[in-house]
Amino acid sequence: MYGILIGAIYAIGLVFLLLTFVIVLNKGVREARARRRRRRRLALEPRVLRYAHGDAVSIIEALGGSVSRTDRGVIEEILLSHLERVKGIEGERLRGALDQLHFVDDYLHQLQSGRWWTRARAAERLGLAGAVRATGKLAHALGDESSEVRIRAAQALGLVGGTAAVRPLIQALREQSRWSSIRIADILAGMGPRVVDDLVAHFPGLELHARVSVLDILGRIRAPHVAPWLRAWLEDEEPDVRARACHALGVLGDLEAKDALRRALKDAQWPVRAMAAKALGRLRQIEAIPDLSEALRDREWWVRSNAAEALRQMGPAGIQALTRMLHDRDLFARHQAVLKLEEAGVLDEKVALLSAEDARERAAGESLVQSFIESGQIGRLLELSVGHRDGGVRQRLKRLLQTATPEPGAGG
Amino acid sequence: MREDARILVIDDDPVVLRFVASMLREKNYHVLVAEDGDQGFRLAVRELPDLIVTDLLMPYRDGFQLVRDLRRHQELAHTPIIILSMDDREENIVRGLEGGADDYVVKPFNARELMARIGKQLDRPRGPS
Repeated sequence: MYGILIGAIYAIGLVFLLLTFVIVLNKGVREARARRRRRRRLALEPRVLRYAHGDAVSIIEALGGSVSRTDRGVIEEILLSHLERVKGIEGERLRGALDQLHFVDDYLHQLQSGRWWTRARAAERLGLAGAVRATGKLAHALGDESSEVRIRAAQALGLVGGTAAVRPLIQALREQSRWSSIRIADILAGMGPRVVDDLVAHFPGLELHARVSVLDILGRIRAPHVAPWLRAWLEDEEPDVRARACHALGVLGDLEAKDALRRALKDAQWPVRAMAAKALGRLRQIEAIPDLSEALRDREWWVRSNAAEALRQMGPAGIQALTRMLHDRDLFARHQAVLKLEEAGVLDEKVALLSAEDARERAAGESLVQSFIESGQIGRLLELSVGHRDGGVRQRLKRLLQTATPEPGAGG
Repeated sequence: MREDARILVIDDDPVVLRFVASMLREKNYHVLVAEDGDQGFRLAVRELPDLIVTDLLMPYRDGFQLVRDLRRHQELAHTPIIILSMDDREENIVRGLEGGADDYVVKPFNARELMARIGKQLDRPRGPS
């Protein structure tokens, strides 16, 4: 019995010893490989970079006429790491090198792998390689069972570009259940002006949610030539389309849209009115100030808020309009004007003038404070009457507040 | 374009550092490299390069601080500085340029465009030094 126990202890000890030996050996082999790779990288990288900066036709010749099996991995690592950081002609040459060395063929083959992570990595690398000939297979990979493969294939198509790559991405935009519309929209927007014509061409046949996404993408791309086309959608029967067209025109900065956007401020649907107000703020067209002032009386909070923000963005003329709105008959309009003037720091700025030596400046300060008091929105004034760093300002403010008679029912 | 110019490249990403250095050496520039802001500043003070290309996000001393420190240094106050950064946010581009950099290039970058900008900065007459 005792002998068996001793034998078992020895056996376990031996197993642990063997395991330790295997682990140490494995680590040693890995480190030796990594060291060798670093050494080879240091030797090969200058040749690859010289090829990228120069005009030699063949990467294989630049590497000395042949590439060993072990060096292939190192060269691939060099090419991919630089491709992540460089574009332009050097980028093109590095991409060409990946193809010349048959890495693109390998990736296309790996795209058929049974392991999802191999397929995902292959898709990602085909994107970095900018492999136009992979477009069809990447488009096919958009239907992969693994979401990771699908999204990497979509990103790769974004990097490859071209009409053949845009079409499957637009298709993906339609399938809300399989895709995150935001990610696909990001990819399409990232492709820039070259996708505009394809998006415009496909637009009429798309579902509403995809059309809305396309309008957003077109705004983000900011291609000026699409502005007249976008303006036409301000008349669409779908309110969501009208609203997103307003938004896109604002982001685009299309000054010719100002009259149409002013009309859109009177749209029957509030999302359209809200987006029109926002767009007019971005365009900073002072002709729209009366319309935006009117929109401060809108029954929907979003419209009032966007209109007030738009006025603030218009600079001094907009601030003047907001100040005038402090006396408006509409309580909601007054409230928005107060909020925006406070947010913009106009109230604090004018309150500071209450102790100014210049009589005109003092009067300007008192006038705005008086307007706030008359509007009944005195919350910030009460705060400043206690907490302002200038004693003179505090004193004058308290006096103005004491002599004031706020409207019945008005809050601070 | 002055091909004998000495250019200091500062970046904590060794891949970018090697790429830019190799690109400049191909054009016969004399290249100095540093892997962080502190090392870059010390090298700049010691070697007084003709132009500096620097990253923004780096250990020890970031690019904004580095540009400020270089501008405060009497002998480097007018040395052209080009920021080469992944950060394409408008506020940081403006911050970099207002902080004293002469140009700003976003990564991934177009190598020939960067070369053209470097050439342009080197050709520009320098302020009092």
